[in-house]
Amino acid sequence: MFRAHMSVTRIWQLIEKRRMSCISVRGKLPGLQHAVGEVRRKSSFRQSPLLTAAPGRALIDEQISIKGHFLSQNYPVTVCAQMHSEEGDLWEAFAHYTTNASKSINLTSDHSVGGSYLGCEPMGLFWALEPALGSREVLRLRKRNVETPYIVNISLLEGHTSPSEGQSTELAAVTVERWYMAPGVRRIEIRQNKIVGTLFLPPGERPGPFSAMLDLWGMGGGLSEYRSALFASRGFASLSVAYMGHKDLPGPPDIMSVGDLYFKSAFQLLQDHCQVDADRVGVIGLSFGVCLTLRIATRIGVKPSCLICINGPVGSPLLDEDGKTKTIESDQKHWELDDRGHVSFRHVSLPDNLPPENKQKVKNITCPLMYIVGEDDQCAASTENADVIEEALRSAGKSQLFTRLSYPGAGHLIEPPYAPCARASLWRAKPEKLFTLWGGHPAPHAAAQEDSWKRILEFMETHLRR
Amino acid sequence: MDRKQCCVKLSVQPSRGLMDEKFIVLVQNALPGSQLTIRALHRCEDGHSWEAFGHYTADTIGTINVSDDPSIGGTYSGVEQMGLLWSFRPIPGSKPGLRMRKKNIQTPMEVTISVYQGHQTEGFADLVPLSGVVVERWYMAPGVRRIPVTEGGLTAALFLPSGPGPFPGLLDLWGGGGQLVEYRAALLASHGFASMAIDYLTAKITMETGKMVDNQYFETAYRVLQQHPQVCGSKIAMIGLSFGTSITLKMAVYSEVIKLSAAVCISGSHVQPVDGSVEEILRFFQKNGDKTRFSEKNEVIWRDLLLPIPTDPSLKVNVGRLQCPLLLVVGEDDQNWPAQESALDIKEMMARAGNSHLLTVLSYPNAGHLIEPPYTTHARSSTFKTIEIEEKVMCLWGGQMVEHSRAQEDAWKKILVFLRENLYGGRNPTSFSHL
Repeated sequence: MFRAHMSVTRIWQLIEKRRMSCISVRGKLPGLQHAVGEVRRKSSFRQSPLLTAAPGRALIDEQISIKGHFLSQNYPVTVCAQMHSEEGDLWEAFAHYTTNASKSINLTSDHSVGGSYLGCEPMGLFWALEPALGSREVLRLRKRNVETPYIVNISLLEGHTSPSEGQSTELAAVTVERWYMAPGVRRIEIRQNKIVGTLFLPPGERPGPFSAMLDLWGMGGGLSEYRSALFASRGFASLSVAYMGHKDLPGPPDIMSVGDLYFKSAFQLLQDHCQVDADRVGVIGLSFGVCLTLRIATRIGVKPSCLICINGPVGSPLLDEDGKTKTIESDQKHWELDDRGHVSFRHVSLPDNLPPENKQKVKNITCPLMYIVGEDDQCAASTENADVIEEALRSAGKSQLFTRLSYPGAGHLIEPPYAPCARASLWRAKPEKLFTLWGGHPAPHAAAQEDSWKRILEFMETHLRR
Repeated sequence: MDRKQCCVKLSVQPSRGLMDEKFIVLVQNALPGSQLTIRALHRCEDGHSWEAFGHYTADTIGTINVSDDPSIGGTYSGVEQMGLLWSFRPIPGSKPGLRMRKKNIQTPMEVTISVYQGHQTEGFADLVPLSGVVVERWYMAPGVRRIPVTEGGLTAALFLPSGPGPFPGLLDLWGGGGQLVEYRAALLASHGFASMAIDYLTAKITMETGKMVDNQYFETAYRVLQQHPQVCGSKIAMIGLSFGTSITLKMAVYSEVIKLSAAVCISGSHVQPVDGSVEEILRFFQKNGDKTRFSEKNEVIWRDLLLPIPTDPSLKVNVGRLQCPLLLVVGEDDQNWPAQESALDIKEMMARAGNSHLLTVLSYPNAGHLIEPPYTTHARSSTFKTIEIEEKVMCLWGGQMVEHSRAQEDAWKKILVFLRENLYGGRNPTSFSHL
């Protein structure tokens, strides 16, 4: 809205602006041509700043360098990012900068003094994205179609303002694309041997066999492809498999009708693929996927080369002898509701609440294991489970296999970098809407995602390539 | 195959870049001290394949960084970060006289970069690479819009950067081959200029009526650009290559309508009948056709057609009357136009007239005629068809690959700075932009 004290110049500017927007600028009507020309000449004297972003087409885990040029000195500006999710929700982030003598801003070195993030955060405009005012709330940003990029519009606004205020002048804008798939990465739908999954292969015509990862997510179900796509973009073959909540899987969507044999098939499918090196296949699991990862490594007769576990339990009372579940909703007595009615599942996976016979036999692991903890995880008791795993390996004389990364302030969903932190999101819609708490605070969660991704790739390089 | 070597990792960052953006090519996990070949392969729109490659030795930790390490053989040598692009040559067995040019600039150029064991020089198609990536090179940044322009009988394409504008404008002209050549304009739009590529020799109106366009055609283009709601009407520049330079200088000096903030003239000349129409200027060149020479390979050399630089003022654009900054880009080995001699004469004329402070000349030894955006493959000669001659001839453009490629890179950088300074930066600071 209008500020209390305004200079005459500023008022004149606003009048000009309104005049301009009232005149149709198609230029077809000769009578208007003169008036239009006149107004445009006046506005033509304005210095147009320039906003640049490099690279303009980046992979999701690549940093984008955003700069504003040809501004004035000591000039307050707002940089704003906007994008539409696949569901059509508008997400936004903004930050306040002030130019110095250089008349420019550089988000890789300058400090934000207000907005969605503070301080020097080169990628803050991406990880601090939030549903815009007026959209649905409590959302989680996830990409289903990994063959197209996120298109983010970055704009430079006059003054320190917020996009919801809507009155500020847009000085410049630039569009960036963020991709999960590098050029040449091949996406192959897998519906064979009863496996429901998607395989991603790195680019290249006939290179030597690739190292590979089996990629497992949590009990939210469905098939999440984006992490696999990114692994392939970084040179690893990767197979994401669905194990519940997918139309191509047997049984009702809310239980796991596939078990040990299923994961064995999936692992072997990867090993048997002509472009995969059978001796260099690892497994990564998030959330419930951790439990499955540990089970794969100890119980089903395959030998992964390395394991990566993110925020998940060492076991689950839900799993039967064959590795399937009877009912997904675990004991509700362990559920905790916060003051907004959001449920935290954290206590469900506390090792104390887990019968010993349900814990996976971690001592039988023979390959390196990296466990990643978000210390503010509200969905799983990650720290406690990491302790159990570490202790089990230590007792078996296998401490050298264990690596732990622990991130203060990070939540449950530690995903590839620069994705916004979803502190909570919709868990189920029926019988009634239930939101679950994931935990995490934007800045530390972003730092955790950036750092852990680097370490994950390094871990894979070390144990899958050498 | 050695097990270790199949874990060789190749990465190129960024994997999707603009045509003028540098990339970092990194090989890791190779056997220390091993000999490797890094090769680029591109199949262009007309189906021809091009390749470039460098021979490297992995260092003590098994790494090769093309930005830091020297190639010791191949299509380029030494430390050449972008050598894999600018040293492209047609694969063995290709027909002669090819030139790599992209027509559809809305899709990227795809280059496959692979690593091979040993120092290979041929037969790549039969070798199994150790690793490979695909790289995309784009002329259009995300958000840049292409708008065909047909108003006023124009055959043109306008490229607008993303954002509200207003943007400084640019008229982009190519040379005697005609056609609507869009890629430079698209790239300039990716740098913040509203750029209009114009076909002025084979325009629709010319093809239909048989008549060449006249001065009004360019003035119409200028007006259309100036009146566009997202173009800053007082900041318009013109960039021309080859014959496009002739038009640019003519408009810059003599047009009552076109008021340029800056002009960039690449590989061209100011020699032309003053007051001549486009047709008359072309006929003037044709008249001197007997000065055509031929190289020992029978390539056509046209640089003498305008030599010696006339002293008659009616045969040269009076650059002494120029009122905007002019950047001249000259390849000293230009075999197609006498760009160097013309530049010298322009300099003298402007010194005498007292406006030489407006002139900057970039002169590159061993660069040829076709000074294009960076990393464009150098063509020392290629088959060419001007609008006057029916058959294709093998035209000698000149230039030596390495120096020509360096010239393209340096000239482009300087062209962008020149355009930014004159169209974006500092000459009219106003209080309007302060709160």
